[in-house]
This record gives sequence, C-alpha cells and structure tokens, in this order.
Amino acid sequence: MSVLEGKELRIVGFLCNWCSYGGADTAGVARATQPTDLRIIRVPCSGRVDPLFVVRALLNGADGVLVSGCHPRDCHYSSGNFYARRRLEILKQFLPVLGIDDRRFEYTWVSAAEGQRWQHVVTTFTERLHNLGPAPQLEDAAPLLKVADMVLTALRPLGTGQNTALDELKAAIVKKLPELECVIGWQQGRDAAHHVPLFIRTPDDVNKLTWGPFNVNNPAVYLPTFKGKKVGIVVKGCDARSVVELLQEHLINREDVTIFSLPCEGTLDMARVDQTLGRYTNLDKVEYDEAGVTITADGTAHRFCMADFAQGKCYGCSTPSAVLADERFGTPVQVTPGEITPPELALLDAMSLEERLSFWHGQMERCLRCYACRNACPLCVCRDYCVSDSRDPHWMTQEDTPREKLFFQAIHALHLAGRCTGCGECQRACPVGIPILALRQQIARAVGQLFHGYAAGMNPEEVPPLLGYEVVEENIQERDWK
Amino acid sequence: MRIGVFICHCGSNIAGTVDCAKVAAIARSWPDVVYAVDPMYTCAEPGQAAIEAAIHEHKLDGVVVASCSPRMHEPTFRRTVERAGLNRYMFEMANIREHVSWIGKDMEANTNKAAELVRLAVEKLRHDVPLTAKQFDVTKRVLVIGGGVAGIQAALDCAEGGVPVVLVEREATIGGKMAKLDKTFPTVDCSACILGPKMVDVAQHPNITLYACAEVEEVSGYVGNFTVKIRKRATYVDWNKCTGCGACTEKCPSKKTPDAFNEATGTTTAITIAFPQAIPKKAVINPQYCRQLTKGKCGVCAKICPTGAIMYDMQDEIVTEEVGSIVAATGYDLMDWTVYKEYGGGTYPDVITSLQYERLMSASGPTGGHIVRPSDGREPKNIVFVQCVGSRDKSVGRPYCSGFCCMYTAKQAILTKDHIPDSQSYVFYMDIRAPGKMYDEFTRRAMEEYGTEYIRGRVSHIYPDGNGRLTVMGVDTLLGRQVEIKADLVVLAVGIEASRGAPQLAEKLRISYDNHGFFMESHVKLKPVETNTAGVFLAGVCQGAKDIPASVAQGSAAAAKVLGLFAKDKLESDPQIAQVDIQRCVACGKCLRCCPFGAIKGTEFRGEPKVQVIETVCQGCGLCTSTCPQGAIQLQHSTDNQILAEVNALCQC
Amino acid sequence: MNVAYYPGCSAKGSSKDYEISTQAVCRALNITLEEIPGWNCCGSTPAHAVDTELSAALCARNLDIAASQGAKLLLTPCPSCLSNLRAASQRMEKPEFRQRVNELLDTPAAETFPEVLSVMQGIAMQLDKENLALRVKKTLKGLRLAAYYGCLMSRPADRMRFEDPENPQLMEDLLTACGAEMVDFPLKTACCGAAFGIPERAMTARNSGRILELAARLDVDAVITACPLCQMNLDLRQTQAGRALNTRFHMPVVYFTQMLGLALGLPRKQLGLNKLAVSADKLLGKLDDPRLADAEGGQQS
Repeated sequence: MSVLEGKELRIVGFLCNWCSYGGADTAGVARATQPTDLRIIRVPCSGRVDPLFVVRALLNGADGVLVSGCHPRDCHYSSGNFYARRRLEILKQFLPVLGIDDRRFEYTWVSAAEGQRWQHVVTTFTERLHNLGPAPQLEDAAPLLKVADMVLTALRPLGTGQNTALDELKAAIVKKLPELECVIGWQQGRDAAHHVPLFIRTPDDVNKLTWGPFNVNNPAVYLPTFKGKKVGIVVKGCDARSVVELLQEHLINREDVTIFSLPCEGTLDMARVDQTLGRYTNLDKVEYDEAGVTITADGTAHRFCMADFAQGKCYGCSTPSAVLADERFGTPVQVTPGEITPPELALLDAMSLEERLSFWHGQMERCLRCYACRNACPLCVCRDYCVSDSRDPHWMTQEDTPREKLFFQAIHALHLAGRCTGCGECQRACPVGIPILALRQQIARAVGQLFHGYAAGMNPEEVPPLLGYEVVEENIQERDWK
Repeated sequence: MRIGVFICHCGSNIAGTVDCAKVAAIARSWPDVVYAVDPMYTCAEPGQAAIEAAIHEHKLDGVVVASCSPRMHEPTFRRTVERAGLNRYMFEMANIREHVSWIGKDMEANTNKAAELVRLAVEKLRHDVPLTAKQFDVTKRVLVIGGGVAGIQAALDCAEGGVPVVLVEREATIGGKMAKLDKTFPTVDCSACILGPKMVDVAQHPNITLYACAEVEEVSGYVGNFTVKIRKRATYVDWNKCTGCGACTEKCPSKKTPDAFNEATGTTTAITIAFPQAIPKKAVINPQYCRQLTKGKCGVCAKICPTGAIMYDMQDEIVTEEVGSIVAATGYDLMDWTVYKEYGGGTYPDVITSLQYERLMSASGPTGGHIVRPSDGREPKNIVFVQCVGSRDKSVGRPYCSGFCCMYTAKQAILTKDHIPDSQSYVFYMDIRAPGKMYDEFTRRAMEEYGTEYIRGRVSHIYPDGNGRLTVMGVDTLLGRQVEIKADLVVLAVGIEASRGAPQLAEKLRISYDNHGFFMESHVKLKPVETNTAGVFLAGVCQGAKDIPASVAQGSAAAAKVLGLFAKDKLESDPQIAQVDIQRCVACGKCLRCCPFGAIKGTEFRGEPKVQVIETVCQGCGLCTSTCPQGAIQLQHSTDNQILAEVNALCQC
Repeated sequence: MNVAYYPGCSAKGSSKDYEISTQAVCRALNITLEEIPGWNCCGSTPAHAVDTELSAALCARNLDIAASQGAKLLLTPCPSCLSNLRAASQRMEKPEFRQRVNELLDTPAAETFPEVLSVMQGIAMQLDKENLALRVKKTLKGLRLAAYYGCLMSRPADRMRFEDPENPQLMEDLLTACGAEMVDFPLKTACCGAAFGIPERAMTARNSGRILELAARLDVDAVITACPLCQMNLDLRQTQAGRALNTRFHMPVVYFTQMLGLALGLPRKQLGLNKLAVSADKLLGKLDDPRLADAEGGQQS
C-alpha cells in the first residue's frame, strides 16, 4: 500500500480505545474536517503502546507517529497513561540520537468528548509534518564512517591501581571461599596485556587474581547464571552498579552474593590499545607506572597513558568505589563532583540530525549482527528468549539490512531505559567497534533529567522510573497544541 | 485462512465520499481474502444475514467489516459471526465512516485511506486466534461503603432482593448528611422522619450486617470474589453490652467536647450517642477528650454503666469479609471555606455554614430548634444567605456546581420565615439552578410568598460593623449597583467536595477519580453507576453532586446492578486479557510491578520462578505486554504480532 | 543598607509629611535612601490604563537610572508607585515587551532592574519585630490603632507580595512591636474612594465614611495609613464623609512612618505631624501621659 503520491504523508496514529479513539469518533460524528494522511491503529490503552512500535514505524518509513490516550487521571485502566507518559517522553528524547527528528513523533491526551481537540491535534500535527516534508530514510543517507576523534577529559586522575590492597583482598577471598561456590574475578588471558574472567574455586586459584586497567570485563554478567548459589564477586565501581541493578530486578538474591570491592582507577579501551599494538608475535613485558602502562611487544615499547587510552565510560565515572559491597579494601578514590557528557555521546551531540542518520547508516553497514553486544550486557536478562530471534513475538526480520540492525540497537537501548548503568560492555564487546553505548547514554541522560537525577544501579530498593509514575510529573510538561 | 471483507455503504454516509466497490475490488487482491463485497447496510438484518450466508458459502474463517466505529457495532457483528459458527474474535472492523467518510470530501484520498484501513484490519485478522471466555463462581454478598441515604437505599434494596449485605459506615451512626438536615426540599417534610424508618430497617434487616465506626482497610480480588478487610475503630464501649440507655452521657464530666454531629454548633460529652435516632444506638468515647484516656483518671462512665460495657483498653479490630460486589456510597464533605478571607475566614462566629444552620433549626439540635446567633444567643432578624461559596469558583479550585445549594438555600429562607416571622432573608446567588420536579416552583415560593430578597451577585466582603452586626457588601448585577446589608447572621452555602479519603479508597477499589476526588463512572451518560472495575458500582454524591432523590435513585440503580450481577451463578471473563508464555518468562517482575490491577502474581514452573495472570482480575490494558522485554506476556487479541502486522501493513517502504 | 529611593510625586507635595517621616525613620534605622537623580512620574496617571508600554517606559527610565547607580533594591513609600514599578519590572521580563518599551526610550533600559519594595517592606526586611522592639525609645503602649492599607498596597497579590491580600499583617507587626494595640480592622484593604474624589464625590464620601465610621466604632485613637492618597482623602474629607453618614468624625489619620518615628523617639518636628488636617494632639497627649503609658494597653480615658 502507499500513500497518495505527493499529496499525503505516511502518518500512523496509536489511539487508546476508550478516550482518544472515541474522541476521533466524536470528531467524525461532528463532521470535523481533517487531513486524510493519518491512519489509526486502535489499542486498548496508551500504556499498550510499546515505544518500539513507534520506532518500528519510523524506521519502516513513516513520516510521523502520533500516540493519543486518555487525559492523566482519566485512564480507563487507572494508570496506563501515566506509564505511557514516561515511556513516550523518553522515546521522544531518544529519537534524535538515531537521527530522527523528534517533531515527527508526538503524544497527547484527547478525551472521548473532545472531538474538536482531536480535529485540532490531527490538523496541527499533519501540518507540522507537511512543513517538515517526507522523512529522510536511513538507507538513503550517505554512509558516514569517518568521524572526529572523541574529546577526552576525566573527572578525576586515572591510574593503574597497582598500589591497591590486592593482597588483603586475596586473603579475604581465601577466608570466605569455603562458604562460596566460587568467586568471580579476573586473570591473565593470552598474555599479560589481556585479562579474562576468573572463576576462583580453590584457594590456589586466588593467586591468579589480577587487578589493573586490563580488568575490562564486567563480572556481574555471570551472576544470574549462579542464581540460588552462594557466590562471591570482585567488582570495580561500574560492575557494582550492575550488581545493584540485578538485585533491584530480583534476578539475584542479596544473601547469595558476597561483593568484594577495590577502588578502580580506570580501565583501558582495549580496542584502541590493540589497534596501536598492531599484530605481534611476542609480548615481551608489561610495565606499570602510576599514570599508564608500557607494553613491549616484538621489541617495540608502546606507552599507553591512562588519560588517553581509558574506556570512554571511565572519564565521567562518578562511582570508582562500589556503591554496594560487603568487603571493601584500598583507599577510596576521590572524585570531583561534576558532570561530563560521555565522549561517545558528545560525538553524536556534535552532529546534525542528517549526519547522525548517515553515521548510523555507515556504522550499521559494518555491524555483523553477531549480538556480542547483547551477550556481554549484564542486564540482557532475557537470555535465550530475546525478541530479536523470536517469531512470537516477531519484532525483527532476519534481513541483513542497516534498518533491522539499527532497530535491534533501538530495542536494546529502550529495553535498558532506566536500567542501563553505562558499564559499556556492549560497546567493548563489539568486534567492529561501533560506539553503540551512545544510544544507551542518551536515554540515561534523559532519565536523569526527567526523574530527579535518577541513575540506574545506585540503590537496590529504588523503583526504576519506567516502572513507576507520578500523577503530576514535575519535568514532563504537556505540550500545547495551539 | 479464508477471509471475507464487507465494505458497508451505510447508505450514502460512507458511499458518498468513498468508492466502496473499488475498496472491495482492491481487497480481493490481498492474501487470504477470498471474498469481498460492498453491501448497502451491513448492520441491518439482511446485511447480517448476508455475512452469515457468505461464511457458510465461502467457508470463511474470518470476517472484516468496514463500516462505522467499532465502538458502535463491534459487539453486533461479533454476534453475527458467532451465529454462523465462527469464534467471535475471528472478526475485525475498519472504521471508514467516523474516521474517513465523515471527515473529508476528497473521494480519491478517502477511497485510498479506506482501503488501507481495511488492509490494516485484514492483517490483524490474519493473526487472530479463537478465544474462549472462562467461567467462575460468584460470592453472592455485597459490600456497601457508606451509610448515607444512598448507601442505605442500596443496602436495603440488595437485602430485600435476598442478597446478604455488609454495610460499612465511618461515623458512629448511619444516616449521613441527610440525618443532620432539619427539613427537605421541596416538600419541607422532616428529614429525620422520612430517613428514620429506613435507618431502623437497616438495623433490623436479617440480611444486613452493619459495621459503624469502621473503614475499609484493604480490598483484593475481583468481580464475584472480593476479599475486604475492614478496620473497626476502637469505640471503647462493648457494643454487645451497650443498651444505648445514655446514662453515661449524662454523667460524663468532659462536657466541652466539640459536637461533630451538630457541626460544632454545640458541645457534647466525651462519651456520646450522636443523636436520639442514631443507628446503631450505641455510645462511643471520643479518645481525644475522654479524661480517663487522656489523663488516666476519671472512669465515671465505667462506674455508671449498668451493663459494664465500657472498655478503656479496647483496640482497633480488623475483620475480613468475602463479597462478590461492592457499592461505593461515600458521599461528600463541605470544602474548607475558611480560604475565603473576605468572609472572615472562620473568625466571625455569626458567619456559619448552611449545615450548621440546619442544626440550629433542627429540634434535635443544640438550641432545640431555636434559631439564635452563635455569638450572643440573640434571635437574628436580618439573615443573609450567600450561595456558591466554594462552588463554581476557579480561584479556589472548585470549578463545579455543587448542585443542591440553590434548593436548600430557598428551603432555609422559607424555614427562617416560619421560625422568625418578623425576619428578613436575603439570598446572594449567581444563577438559580432548580431543574427538578417542583423545584422551580419552590424557589419562586421562597421569593414570592416568603418575601425572600434574591440578589443576583457575589458578596465581596463580610465584616463586623462594630455594633454587633455584620456588614455584607456585594453587588446586584441585575441593577448594576453595589449592595450593602446589615446582617445579624450570615449563612454560607458552602460547596461540596468528595468525602475525606475518597481518593485513597478509590485506589483500594482500583477505580478512577477526578481532580476533585469524585469517583469516575464508566460512561458519563450510558454507564453512570458502573465503574471501570467490574463489580464495583457507585451511588450518591461520591460520583458527583446530586440531591436526595437522585442519590436514592442511584442507590437503587446500584442495587439493581448488584442483583443483576448475582442473577448468574457463574460469571464469564473477557478472554481479551494477558497471557504468559511460561517458557519465555524469566520472572524479572517488571509486569508485576506496574500492573494497575494487581492481576499478575508470582508462581513456579518446574522449580523456576515465573509469573501468571489472574484471569478474572486482568482488565486487558496491555501495559504488561509493552513492559515485558522478552515479549513473554501477550495481551490476547492485541498481541505484539498483531500490532506489528498493522504497523507493517502501513509502513513497509 | 544603601538603597535607591523613589519618592513619587505626592512626596514632594501633598504627602510631604509622609516623605519627611519616611526619611527620618529610615535614617534612624540605618537605611540610607539615595533618591534617584532626575526621577520622573511613575505613570500612575491614566497612562497605565491607556498604554501599558508607555507606562512601563516611564517606570523603566526610573529603574534604569537606579540600576545604573548600582542599586540592587529600590524603595518607594507610595503603593501606587510600587504597583507601577513592579508591574513594569515584571512585564519587561518578556523580550517582546522589553523591545517595544526600549523603542520608546532614548537608550535601551538595563537588562536587570533593582528589586522594588515598599518602604514598609523595606523596613521589615531591615529588622524583624524583636529588633525593632529593641530600638523603641518611646513605647506606643496605651494607643489603640487601626491599620489601614488601602486597596492598592496588597493587590494584586502576586505583584505586591503582602502574603494574604485580604488580610495583610505587616503594619500590625511593626506597630505591635512598638507597643501599640492594633485592632482587627476588617476594612483594612477596602477602597477609600480617593480616586473618584472629584468626579464621584458622593461615592467617595460614602466609602471614606464607612472606614471612618468603623474606626470610630472600634474606638481607635487613629487610623494608620501607608498611602498618600488614602491619607489625604481620609484626613481632608472627614467633614464630607461625616455629612454623608449624618455624623461628625474627628479621627486622626496618620502615616505609619509617623507612628514609627514617635516610637523611635525622633523629634516630632521631623515627622511632619503638624501637617495633619485632623489634629493628632489628643493622641500625642496620650503618649505623653505617663499614667496611660504604664497602664495595660487598650484602656481608654
């Protein structure tokens, strides 16, 4: 099917059955003339509108999407629209980072009696879209691959953490080990410059435990698989937030987990480290100093200063010490309070909408659809039942197109809305180095701004913002339709 | 799948601006559509018969009708397809009248749009599956919350219909606001005399269990099977022993207790029986004023009570009741009029509320029915009534009309003249709203026979003139001049608001309430008694301002709804509810956290934690479906796949 | 505290007593008033009703001069001036309005203006009740007074910021701290009719009469005002008002600054009490009578 060429735009409306669909009926009964572009999908409640329906429509070529429900407090189901309001507002603030103009998506409230208001909403929204013109499509945007370097400034001095209390930690683990199934930490991998997860089961294993900027993996990802068993986990500050988030979602039990923490001084962005090292046959040595590491491979020394080679997330990290721990060691790292935009997000912020669309087109053409991002994510709790490889529900096709791949990123980002702690494992795991963390960071930024500075993974008792609501939202204002 | 499509002309309503035949022709080209026609009137008897015939003839297993709004005829056509042997959920509708033909005249655009909407419906139908309603048992008992006249009526009607009733009243006696009134309009008959017998009926009816001094603490369950926890507040008197003799109230030394029943126009004792006709006629101790309870010494009532009913150590008690239906009849309270500083904000004793004035006029009131000024006990001669104090006033957040103030003000003016023949009453009003039977005649009587001076305008200022009287300054908008009246007594017709605690109760009952705390009916016009929670009904002012006859009528209406519900032994649940794919569920609990109805609960499946939907509680909003990241909980008939099919039908560049 | 001072036109003519008592009291309380050089009318003429931009331009010029002198706070004794200056400041926050006003001015007005308060609010800001009570040299004990704010001082509420617009309490707080007994005066914010003193004399007489009558009934020694127009109207037109109500009034109508001045022990000459039409001699006599000053407040001779 197609719209009337040149005359109409493709506009999809999701209307709740009780209020807005009735309002549209009322407008019809009153013979209130409206533009013909809009096609209405009837849903029981605005709360039924998964923001991903909107993304699906927009990526599939819709020029605009309108969601309308009952006025706050008038919801047929008491509170469906309150949840919708939060989720759709987050969506509205998310779309621009994908390169989609947020004016192409709107949500509002129209009661069954407000035929006139409905007419006004439809007319205004359609007019707005005609002024914007047909939506630019991802596939039409020229792929943009070369981008500016990220700007890196840290909230605190980054270091290598070699003076920390690793021996005390080891002693504590040995002491606790008899009660635990295992303790998750890090050990040397293929060489001294690459660390991998370690599962300590015997006191001897403890000697393998390493600490330093190569401890990039987030061990929290393994915790849900141990649910019901007593385990220990060694965490960096960022890892602890993932643990807190898992606790908040009851995916692990607090009494089963013993958290050991050391203050983190930063971790290396291994993608850039490996790129600099290039191919080598022998790793001669790794030397740590306070500000960085020197890796000598095949006789050539490469110096990696932490201030230049840390992971993007480390620069703005405000929780180098674990927010929750049973046993803490080492001296806590001081953080100058402040906020900096994460470098990945700053990169996107600096682009125009068109550039972002081009950027994602280029990046998604590189995407292998390997789902490493998903598998590394500690909060991808669906595990074997991810909607990306299911037929019921059938959110995605298996086509290898930038559109489907970007849609998967949208699914992941929106499923993590209000939950993502920004640990960056998705991006670190990406074998082709796509800065996908930016999508999650944009949502986290919007969540913080809308919900009184909420940050995920800080307090296991908190209700995550998208699973709650306030009758009057201080920071979400009804947009007027005048 | 074999789908039949019917594009209705609706006479010229649709065919006037949509080429229906063309839409049908387009429809025939889509997958699974085996039959498409464009009848003149699909909803008419021959139209429905044609659908049935086509189902048989073309072996259709799904039908799409494109006509008016599904809010109008979806139930009609569902019955039609069911008659022809299809499952009623194998049917979809496209709204090509309200959403197409009536809102634009461009034939080409309309035809194209209509075809797309039909395509939408076909795509959804292709993902439809037959759904069957489940049956469940009904507890044939009803809970009535609030023992005002609306609640009393609902309780009596239900009890008469053979249904056991649990009546919960917050105050110590039933009767509500009506029991406080002296007379009622437009007949000026004694309020207590007409309400009293009904109250006695409540006390004596074998089918009614009354809990006074009690409040609903917690409600769980669903239509047919609610479990209600009721908090019986400590009255410090064992009601099983109390005979209501009143000896305690005579001897109680704490005589300065504010008299709530008399709207604080007088004082009473710390142990008290609200009024002579109280039901239940039992004594209650006000713990804030009782000397034994506050200071630990007194004990006079315990000594005097002939049956030994006094229990100073009594505690609140929680009782649990199982009911199948709930009637909310919580009534109203007066708004806090002291925000009107220009009327003294409550500092002038001779500026009183209309309800206080009722108590002054009532023979059972603190003055024995003599109208006197609270300040000095003298009889007032000039009485000014001010209407709309806290009604229709956006500046104090009360934009609505309180409905019955015009009428009782007229009544009070008439009664004033009867009580004090040489008095003069003035009424400041905005508009006279007297639309009931014999109502307008009544207000005219107040003006014409009783010489009440009606002044159309607002009062700007009331202040003591220093000589013991009040100066009332206002405007007469009909004459366009300012008015100044020397008054002995000013009676404010204070606007109503939802009863204290109404929003909290609404949340317990899971029903909606408006900005002012009034409960929301299911449909403003066509379902004024029902709520959006099945099995919960409304009676009286808790739903919106109304007078006694309307409250009584709604009380009976709610009772009729309850009796209708209980006429069936089994109830059917709507199958359009959420369903959990037990394999996919990881028990993260997100759905459980946001379900507005508490319809999801934890369970276990092969040792793994999972969730399940309580089918009778789920109302089918689908919030859980859009919350579940793995799509493990799907709202039947609005599944992700169905909505995605619709999205993809519209957008597939 | 150094503040800009906008006296308003009455101060230089009909309410000279308000002006000099304001100056004297502020001096005594260490509030240094710096009169805006070359100030002009605030626009409380028909200008504000006819043309809000022109009216705002008049105010903006004054505010601009004050701002250019580095003032952060501006005080004015007159409620009418206060209303106009505050209204102009508020309206100028809108860029379009500011632009249109700037077109009327020779040079665009400063971006930020000093905050405008009434002298009464300024005094209350400088020192609270307790501190004021400590400064009292001559208690007003024994005097029974009615605070009369007039219709403008507290309205509109959001602009004038006198808390409850129907029942302001600031003047009562100040004078109670000085020892006076303040009666609950229900007509404290009623209109005295001054604005219609010429075209509608009967109405003015009725309105003023109502206020004076209530004050007389409440047996007060004086009505205390804060508005040049109210004071002039209630003070000068007592005969007309009395005639309208078939009575005779002899009610001193005194500025609150004059009363504060008395309490602070300032020389009476500095307070302009000789300018009152209805003599305050009886009231002053009461203040001087040691027996009354010692008696429990509120008793009448």
